[in-house]
Amino acid sequence: MSLAKFIEDFEAAVEDIEPGSLTATTKYRELEAWDSLAFLTVIAMIDAEYDLRLKGDVLKSCETLAALYAQVSA
Amino acid sequence: MIVGMGGSDKFNNQQILVVGATGALGGAIARHLQVEGADLIVSGRDQRKLAALTAEFAGSSLSVDLSDSTRCAQLAEAVGELDGVVYAAGVAPVVPVRYLKDADIEACLNLNTTMPLLLIRELLKKKRLKLGASIVWISSVASARGTAGYAAYAASKAGLEASARCLALELAPKRMRVNCIAPGMIKTEMADATAERISDEALAAHLKAYPLGAGQPADVAAATSFLLSQESRWVTGITLPVDGGFSI
Repeated sequence: MSLAKFIEDFEAAVEDIEPGSLTATTKYRELEAWDSLAFLTVIAMIDAEYDLRLKGDVLKSCETLAALYAQVSA
Repeated sequence: MIVGMGGSDKFNNQQILVVGATGALGGAIARHLQVEGADLIVSGRDQRKLAALTAEFAGSSLSVDLSDSTRCAQLAEAVGELDGVVYAAGVAPVVPVRYLKDADIEACLNLNTTMPLLLIRELLKKKRLKLGASIVWISSVASARGTAGYAAYAASKAGLEASARCLALELAPKRMRVNCIAPGMIKTEMADATAERISDEALAAHLKAYPLGAGQPADVAAATSFLLSQESRWVTGITLPVDGGFSI
């Protein structure tokens, strides 16, 4: 598990995100592609890839991908 | 003539099995039927909740985890002759297809679609259903309307409704009836768990689709009572929407 791999997984989960376009400081909730389906898909991706049933509140409260990764890897 | 349809006389000690009684919907259905005079056998996976439920009324309880057909046979063996069966057990994985796990799909189809059918099979084989018995399966509005993330759940409920129509024809000669209820958004633990996995915007948009707002377990319980009772004696093979106008 690494932040780089997590960002790759995030990019793969959310539609219309160019691979390699996101960084640790990306504010994912401000992305144009961030919508209700992306929300659902990222939670499902984290469950499938990281075996963690993340609550939606966490996704709503984190700002950056690094912060989200910190929650996933905690 | 239909008599004794109100209050505690409605079911007049009829034997009714409620499967999935430890869930919010199943529990509400059991309590409603008990008030209306049914003699209940309640079944569920959660032994603590089951004990609490049966402590509320003088009914029988059977702790069963319906994970395979053997358990269905055991449940059918354990009950006496029944006037009615309610199947309210279920799971709802809310996951886009890309990330659906094999185990989630299998568990969803197994508990939501296969087990209710196998349970009736076993009850029929063991002649546990009285002539004129009524069967009610709890489906969902998801069976008829697409929602992202609900592919497995929707498939399981659509399959359940299709099975009910066929079973209704098979059992009609014995005056047995088979119907489904398709609840919309009901305030339950399952709905709360779902709400945790979707965005506030998606939840608000979904709620807007209900002209009468979100429902309560009691709404589903009242509809179940109707379909179990002689009030609906000429109704079989249908899916009754109980959805605050969602499906209009």
